Parts: sequence; structure tokens; C-alpha cells
Amino acid sequence: MRPRQTATAWLLLTPFAVIFLVFTAVPVVASLAMSLTDIRGIDLRDPFGVDAVGLANYLDLLSDPAFGQAAVNTLYVVVVGVPLTMAAGFALALVLDRGIRRFRGAFRALFYAPVVANIVSVALIWQYAFNQNGTVNTVLAAAGLAGPNWLGDERLAMPVVILLGVWRNFGTAMLLFLAGLQTLPKEVYEAAAIDGAGRWRQLRSITLPLMMPTTLLVSVLLSVFFLQVFDEPYLLTNGGPLGTTESMALFTYHQFGFGNIGTSSAASFLLLIIVAVVSALQFRILRVRT
Amino acid sequence: MATPRPRLVTIAALLAAAALVVTGCGRDTAGGSDAAAVTVDDSPATGTVTLWAPDGDATKLGEVLAGFRQQNPGLDLQITLVPSDEYNTKLQTAIAAGTTPDIAFLYTEAQTQFLASRAFAPVPDGLVDPGSFFEGSWAAGERDGTAYSVPWYAYTRVLIYRKDLAEAAGVTAPKTWDETVPFFQALQRAGAVHGYGADVGWDTYNGQTLATFAHQAGATLLSADGSSWKIDDPAVIGAAEFNASFFTSGVSSPDTPQFLDSQPYLVSGKTGSMISGPWVVATLDTTAQQEGWTAAHIGTAVLPAGADNDSGQLAGGSWGVNAASANQQAAWKVVRAMAQQDTQVAQYEAAGSMPAVVAAWDDPSIAGQPLLRPFLDQLKNVRPLPAVSTWNEVSTLLGKAMESVARGKESAADAMAAVQKQADSIGTD
Repeated sequence: MRPRQTATAWLLLTPFAVIFLVFTAVPVVASLAMSLTDIRGIDLRDPFGVDAVGLANYLDLLSDPAFGQAAVNTLYVVVVGVPLTMAAGFALALVLDRGIRRFRGAFRALFYAPVVANIVSVALIWQYAFNQNGTVNTVLAAAGLAGPNWLGDERLAMPVVILLGVWRNFGTAMLLFLAGLQTLPKEVYEAAAIDGAGRWRQLRSITLPLMMPTTLLVSVLLSVFFLQVFDEPYLLTNGGPLGTTESMALFTYHQFGFGNIGTSSAASFLLLIIVAVVSALQFRILRVRT
Repeated sequence: MATPRPRLVTIAALLAAAALVVTGCGRDTAGGSDAAAVTVDDSPATGTVTLWAPDGDATKLGEVLAGFRQQNPGLDLQITLVPSDEYNTKLQTAIAAGTTPDIAFLYTEAQTQFLASRAFAPVPDGLVDPGSFFEGSWAAGERDGTAYSVPWYAYTRVLIYRKDLAEAAGVTAPKTWDETVPFFQALQRAGAVHGYGADVGWDTYNGQTLATFAHQAGATLLSADGSSWKIDDPAVIGAAEFNASFFTSGVSSPDTPQFLDSQPYLVSGKTGSMISGPWVVATLDTTAQQEGWTAAHIGTAVLPAGADNDSGQLAGGSWGVNAASANQQAAWKVVRAMAQQDTQVAQYEAAGSMPAVVAAWDDPSIAGQPLLRPFLDQLKNVRPLPAVSTWNEVSTLLGKAMESVARGKESAADAMAAVQKQADSIGTD
């Protein structure tokens, strides 16, 4: 690059670089430093008057059953939530790409609405819907079924939380898949049709392999979303009943609320490491096929 | 595939930076010194004073202080309301960032973590008369013998029950633990679905309820010098068993009523009683959509006595003044105004906040309500919650343990032994 171009490039980068430094890099380093000390809420006015404890916060977390439960809960959300969201998004993208001719724009907007809807008000509506005497149970009662206490039951609360997460994110997956589908070459399908491949065969042998790059992108994006799941359990259950819906991000937030700033910084870094590892793994596994 | 080296370098650099920051640290054992207390005169307050409070009792504070604002035209009082669920977290963040307002509301029962951070100034001598408040309200703001907050409102929880059902069953409010479950069963015979509406949602309130019962059984929860937790203790286990007996005997359900349902359930007879605060008495008519419903259907009584005593628990709101405030003079004048008897009564009339000043309860607007009398009696007979900065965390653990005992997942003894272990690692301060 010529020097002048380099200067221009830097000039254009400056706004982002400044914002990134002030709002991301500095807090990240500060948080990393705090995770290596025994800083608590009562030390906030004298943040340097604390002791360095090395990796003790990390080791304590790894042996803390509540953190373990939060990690398992988060894994549960990812393992169930990501495939469900992808399946729903992919199915709708296929329908929009092939099936629907009229009102395509309206349907696309409708399916994307949950992504932009305000999660706080949506969660409030869900809370009423899944209350013991809420809409869902009223409908079940009309059908002669006794509805459970959805959000108060240890087995059922998490599925409701995951359902909200899926409902909120399938629009994003759909949009990305739709963009991917629309770039696929038509000739390949024509050739396959002449060779006698049916719709399912085309989907399995052409669409899915060609969509691999998009699938990789969507799966990484959604995994990162779901690993950091916070809004849904925070708004629906605040981690209850008996901690069954407490995700790692929510655990971190609660620790901060208790004033355990060192612990919560360490927990957020552990979450960061997990996000990085999971993303790297997915790239590694799916790249082989792209 | 890029070489991993640059990333390693970045991580190493971050770690080195962190290590550099950390080595500049170290706890000083001497303890910091407090800002010298200011003296507050009687001249009008001037300048800008910012005030934060959770939405709720403070919603009408601007109207309550209208007269004070007229008398102090040079004062610009800026009130910011914060959603009550997030208030403590937001205040903690503000303290960390150094953006604390001049005056901050403090939950009377949960202010220790903020007082311990020395973010608040000591109350100037002679600003208010400590003896004019409920003893428990004033004591909650003290740390090592110095007061850091001034009480504003105070409440306690007592037994609120369906008087009409009790009369139909021929029973009177229970005086001891032993009489409690039979009383609730009698309410059920008279038509209540559940005799007692209890909420075992896992949260700090649940832990506070257990703490109340533990105090009644003679437990202290803390060692005498406050340095260690005493949770794996026969009195605490007995209290947890007593609390769980409501669920095992069938007078309560662990699933309902949820918080928002508690009042409608009492009105419809799905529950026959609850242990709750004075706002219930004030709002039941609205819930029942019938003027005079409460007076005809509701009775209140002080809590039944455990093996040791019949104490309750004091909660409420207090005010602290930012130790770093540039306008402490005016801030303390605002706090002083809020602690005056006529302001306290005006605050009660505006928002139903029960006065922290004992004499304000003699005002006809309060004294004329027999249902409020047990609240006053109970407020004079309270035990403080553990005044350590980790109480909020430990009480959440207690609440979680209580929920699992109530749902029959584990025995009270096992649950309390587990909490003891966790509390030991959390420590007291």
C-alpha cells in the first residue's frame, strides 16, 4: 500500500479504534485485573487497596457447585436451542425461497418481527401466558387438561426459557439462510432435475452441501448468542426454580449484585474462554466440509 | 490456518498488564479514615442536590417535599427514580464509577454492603434525634458505633388473615408456633383452599422469612463477635422445619400464590392468610373492588412466638449522604426535612409509607386504624438481620435451601449444613 493510502486507512479506522479502546479494551483489561484480586463491592472506592489472589477466583468457581450448575444449564440451552433455532430458520427460509410467491415481503417481515420486538415486554407477556393461571393453562383447561406450573417446575422452566430464546432468534437464522439460498446457482438444480433427482434428493445432495458456509456462520452466531443467554432467564425466572434456569451470564450478574466483583469478573472470563473454544471447534469441524 | 503466535502474544501482554495493575494493590490493615462530619445549621438550603430512590415509596416524594422546596427557593433538588429491582445494583455501579448522587436511598435492611464501602458520610451530630426513630431503624444504619444513614420509613411483616373465616371456624389468631398450623387448618375448614399463602420463590425474601423464624427460635445466625456464620444450628434447623411444616401439612402450596397473586387469592379465599406488610391493608379494598371490604374481612396480629421469643423483622428505607458530595450541607437539610414528623405523615398519606418516627404513628390518620396497631407493636419488637456485607448473598442461599426443603428435596438438617459450608467460604465481611 502507498503511504497515502495507509494514512487514509488509519484515518478511517480512528473512530472505531477510539471507541473500541475506551469501551471495550480498557474495561476488558480492568476486568481481567479484577479477576485476579479479591475485590468486592465494599472496596469500590479504593480499588487498588485489595490483595492479588492469582487464579484463586477461577479455581473457586470451578469447584463451586452453583457455577457448575450454571455451566450445565448453559450447555443445555445451547445443545437444545441452537439446533431448534437453525431447523426453524432453515425451514422457513426454504418456504420463503421456494414455496411462497405472494406476500413474500410481508411474511419475511412477520417472521423477523420477534428479533426486533422488545424482549422485556415479550418476556412479561410470556410470564403471564405461562403463569399457573395464565393463558396457556386456561387453553389446556378448556381441553380438559390440568396445566402444570410451567415456570415454577424444575423440569419445565428451562424448556420455556429455551422456547423464548428460539422464538426470539429464529428470524435471524431465517434471514441468513434466505440470503444463502438466493445465491445458489440455478443451473445445478436444472442439471439435477434432468438427471431425475427429486425435491428431497436435490435438498440433500445440492442445497445442504452448498449451504455449508452459511450453516457454519449461523451455527457460530447462534452458539455465541445462546452461550451468553441472559435476557430470557433473567426476565422469566431470574434463575429459579432452585437454580435450574440460571445461565452462566446470569450467575455472573448475580455475583456482581452480591458485591463479589472479583468472582464475577473471573466468571465472565471463563465464559469468554468457552465462547472462544466453541467457536473455534465449530469452524474446525464445519470447515472440513466447506 | 494462521499461526497462533500473535494471539498468544496478545494474551501474554494482557496478563502482563493485569499483573502490573495487580502488583500496585494491597489491602491496608489500618482502615481508612472517614470524612469529618459537617455541622448543619438552620439556614435555607441552597445549590443543586441530586437524589436517587427506587420507584415506589419515593414516587410522590416531589409532592411531599413541595412545602420544603418553597421554604428553600435557592435549592435545586433533582429526584431520579430507579426501578426497585435494579436499585442496589445501580447504586453499587455508581459507587464504583464515582457517580454517586448527593443523597441515596438505602434499603434499611440491606445497607450494610454500602456502609462498609465508606461511600457515605457519618450523620452529623444533632441533625436528628436518634431516639425519635424505631430503635431497629436507627441501629441498621450504624457501623462500629457511627451512624451513616437516617431512617425514612419503616415496616414489618405481621400475620394478615381472613377474620370472617376465623370467626366462622371459632378460632383466634395463633400466639405460638404450635397453634399456627391448627389455626391455618381451621381457616381451611371454614372455606379457604389453603390456610396460609406462602411464597417459596427462591430469593432473598425467602431467606429473610427463615431468618425471622430462626430468631424466634433463639438463633443469632452469626457468632457473638460477628466473625463467623452459625447456620448449621439446632434453632435454625428447627425454624426451617417449622417453615416447611406449612407445606407438608398441606396448609400451603409451594407453587402458589406467586407474588402478584397473593392479594387476589386472599380476597377470593384461595388462601386464608399471609405474612406481609402494611401496604396489604392499604390496598386490599382496591383488590376486592369494594370499599370497606378490608375492615369487614381482615384481621391482623403480631407474629406467633417461637421457643425463645416473638420478635419480627424490621425493614424500610433510609437516606445516606454521599461522602464525596460537594453539597453535604444542603443534602443533610433535605434528609432532616424528610425525618420530620409532619413530612413523615405527609409521606404516609401520599404513598402509604409507614413512618420511621415513632411519634408520627399517633397521628389520627394512622392511629385511627386498628388494623395497623399490630404493625406498631411488632416494630417495637424486632431483631436486626445480620449486619454484614455478605448477608444478601447468604440470605439468597438460605432462600434457595428453604425452597428445596419446602419441596421435600432434602431434609432441613442437610440443607442447613450445606448452606453453612457455602457461608463459611463466603465469610462475613
